[in-house]
Amino acid sequence: MSNVIGVVDYGVAGNIHSIKKALEKAGSKVIVVNEPSELLKIDKLILPGVGSFKDAMKEIDDNGLREALCKHIREKPTLGICLGMQVLAKVGYEFGQTQGMGLINAEVKPMLCSGTVPHMGFNNIEVVKKNPILDGIEDESFYFMHSYEVVNYTDVAALTTYCDHQFVSSIAKEHLYGVQFHPEKSRDAGIRLFKNFINL
Amino acid sequence: MSMRIIAKLDVKPPYVVKPVHFEGVRKVGLPAELAQKYYEQGADEIIYVDIVASLFQREILYSEIEKTASKIFIPLGIGGGVRSVDDFSKLFHSGADKVILNTYAVQNDSDLIREASEVFGSQSVVVNVEAKNWGNSWECFTDCGRVRSGKNVLEWVEEVESLGAGEIMIQSVDHDGRQRGFDVELISRVVDKVDIPVIAASGAGSLAHILEVSKLAQPDAIAISSLLHYDVKKIGEIKKFLRDNGIEVSE
Repeated sequence: MSNVIGVVDYGVAGNIHSIKKALEKAGSKVIVVNEPSELLKIDKLILPGVGSFKDAMKEIDDNGLREALCKHIREKPTLGICLGMQVLAKVGYEFGQTQGMGLINAEVKPMLCSGTVPHMGFNNIEVVKKNPILDGIEDESFYFMHSYEVVNYTDVAALTTYCDHQFVSSIAKEHLYGVQFHPEKSRDAGIRLFKNFINL
Repeated sequence: MSMRIIAKLDVKPPYVVKPVHFEGVRKVGLPAELAQKYYEQGADEIIYVDIVASLFQREILYSEIEKTASKIFIPLGIGGGVRSVDDFSKLFHSGADKVILNTYAVQNDSDLIREASEVFGSQSVVVNVEAKNWGNSWECFTDCGRVRSGKNVLEWVEEVESLGAGEIMIQSVDHDGRQRGFDVELISRVVDKVDIPVIAASGAGSLAHILEVSKLAQPDAIAISSLLHYDVKKIGEIKKFLRDNGIEVSE
């Protein structure tokens, strides 16, 4: 079990500070990754969550990270948070159509529902496929803040319902995990999720 | 969906202060300590607004933000004197999860809302509206209720939504700090006008006031200051009261 976690920095965007602080509380060493060489120093990777799909992918490409990240993600445990889960998809439709990293068979589309969007606040998850990341926190609530959702039918780990609209709130595919909510903003349940990830 | 209870800190560095009608101020504590206290009490979010940054045209104090962010694991919204995408970025790197805009967007360049939402996503762009009632309409004020803008509140909220804002916080220049209840009509009108979440602020002086605005205006969130600062009520009590009265709130 190793504990050095790399958090990808999308340049101008990204709430790196919040994620770093929560990971440290969960007991991990954290390195901020903004160039491919830093990937060699880490055991696990986190793709964080603030930004827009288009800008995040542009930033990843501008820093020459796409190929290195894809390779790393295929080999080592990775957790995508919110936008960080979304960019794993094949394509996103936030501010035009943008190609994602294509590591999960999914698309990222605007949320359409009767409630106000962005979907903001604490909400529950319904675990449909047990996995180590969600161990012990299946009945907890987590903080969501998003206007887009991952549309996927094959790797769904948890679902969430917001104003009668059900969407994918977590995915799991081998050692690749994604959550639409923000563990770093979800009190003790979020810290527990990070601990689960650290202990993989 | 649960209605959120947000603890709002009005900061005149280094202190959290309680503005009365946005003017006179009383010191009530330090931001980092109060943020942690409200986190432990069960707040869904913390909002931190530097109430003098814009007026004095100076930068928000990033060291204060870092201290405030350091021990809370719920969303932190920061506002005060934000003028550029670069300011947004610095705030995110200091611990903000959402950034709150007002004066610059109203007075100088509303396009900053669009730019910021394209870079950071709508969900992290909050527009604060300071509304002053003139009989049948409301006007947007800036610089903590000091400066008139001539903009109509209901037109402005529609405009900021179309520019990509992810959330609107609605304050009332007339009700703020008085603890005599919310401007329920204003908040209802704004909630009806936009499809993005609305945070109702200004006026919570009792549990009854909070229940009234929750039922009549149905905002997505309520921001509370004085009631918490003077330990009149704790967040747990507020949530329990709302739950007992049929309003869904998080644990």
